[in-house]
Amino acid sequence: MRRLRLFVLAVAALGLAGPAAAATGKEVVDTICAGCHRAGVLGAPRLGKAQDWKERLQQGRKTLYEHALKGFKAMPAKGGNPKLTDAEVRAAVDHMLSLAEADKGGAAGGGEAAAAKEATAAAPAPRAAPKPRVSAVNRFNRLLEKEADCNPPPPEDGIHDPENDGTHLLLPPKEAFTDLPKAPSGNCVDWVKALEDGYINPRYDRLDPNVQPIVMDLNIVREVKGSMPDVVYPHKQHTEWLDCSNCHPAIFVPQKGANQISMAAILLGQKCGACHGKVSFPVKDCRKCHSKKKPMTLQRTQTTQ
Amino acid sequence: MRALRRGAAVAVALAALAAVPAQAEYADVVINRRAEKEGMPPVIFPHWFHRIRFRCRVCHLELGFEMRAGANDITMAAIAEGRFCGACHNGEIAWSPENCFLCHSGRPGLKSGVRGGHQTSGPGRY
Repeated sequence: MRRLRLFVLAVAALGLAGPAAAATGKEVVDTICAGCHRAGVLGAPRLGKAQDWKERLQQGRKTLYEHALKGFKAMPAKGGNPKLTDAEVRAAVDHMLSLAEADKGGAAGGGEAAAAKEATAAAPAPRAAPKPRVSAVNRFNRLLEKEADCNPPPPEDGIHDPENDGTHLLLPPKEAFTDLPKAPSGNCVDWVKALEDGYINPRYDRLDPNVQPIVMDLNIVREVKGSMPDVVYPHKQHTEWLDCSNCHPAIFVPQKGANQISMAAILLGQKCGACHGKVSFPVKDCRKCHSKKKPMTLQRTQTTQ
Repeated sequence: MRALRRGAAVAVALAALAAVPAQAEYADVVINRRAEKEGMPPVIFPHWFHRIRFRCRVCHLELGFEMRAGANDITMAAIAEGRFCGACHNGEIAWSPENCFLCHSGRPGLKSGVRGGHQTSGPGRY
């Protein structure tokens, strides 16, 4: 009950503070409405898009005021900010409608563009550029694919939306990587070296920056059939980043000889492939794992000579 | 003249092909299990940004993120309660979830999964 009273007092205080400086329609739109109306979240009519507003305006300005004040479908009452006065909300609606009206030229332009499109459709279409040949037969070849341009900035990376305001606020990876040691693949950063040489000092604990990792220095050598060098698996570099339970026992049974590991399994995302090829250095860096030369290779050349 | 125009058209088409956006940053994760159904753009999680600041252990053990894209049922409610991203994105360790469009910044229609030239295919049963 006491809490409720405090809450009421707080709201009242805010209510008193609010009207002291009534915001203009533009201010309200920029600070509150734009959150949804800029991108068109949940079907909100977008700022300055005449076609979004056309049908809505046919219901009459009064209805729009009412929807803005009391809420309608996904639109929360007063844009979710009860501190706004009715006049401020109405001013905001007026401002958004004026933005939409200003777009009339744009709407007409859109019409022209559509007409032009129809015209080009009627004309004989130029021959389409040949599709790049991608062999679906041997998916293994994806290992040999050329590395794409390293570290594109978010608006150009193909997955971030350049029309989203947030995209342009994000740190481009290249800026963060300037001082870090380079690698030929993945992020084009040698993360193990970056950590070993102290270029980065990522936390091992969420809250305490001083917690030191429990490092286990034990190399596991796996003999490999054929001419590939044997695999040396270093626990050290892995325990610098990970906890034992990240890999054991779900991915690797902690027992000698209990794990059947093959490149096929790895490429299917199992065993080492749970991380390597996704977030840790990719599988095409063969020699990073296959790093122990076999004495056998030498013997064989001797016997054949 | 016509041949020239056609040549120009092909050149433009090739340029358009070449301008196909480069690949995402290695290990960027697209999270779109719920986002677009709820009317928000997909989320893009940059592994690289986080691994400069935290070791894998923090998120994949303390925060309970499964190490498999699609295995984590992340909701805004969970984040507000301080689980998943909300364990750090709470305005104390990192910026708070009010900055919707810093995470919800993906292009519309993206499918969930690891991006950026990854080579091992998933889902990776283990």
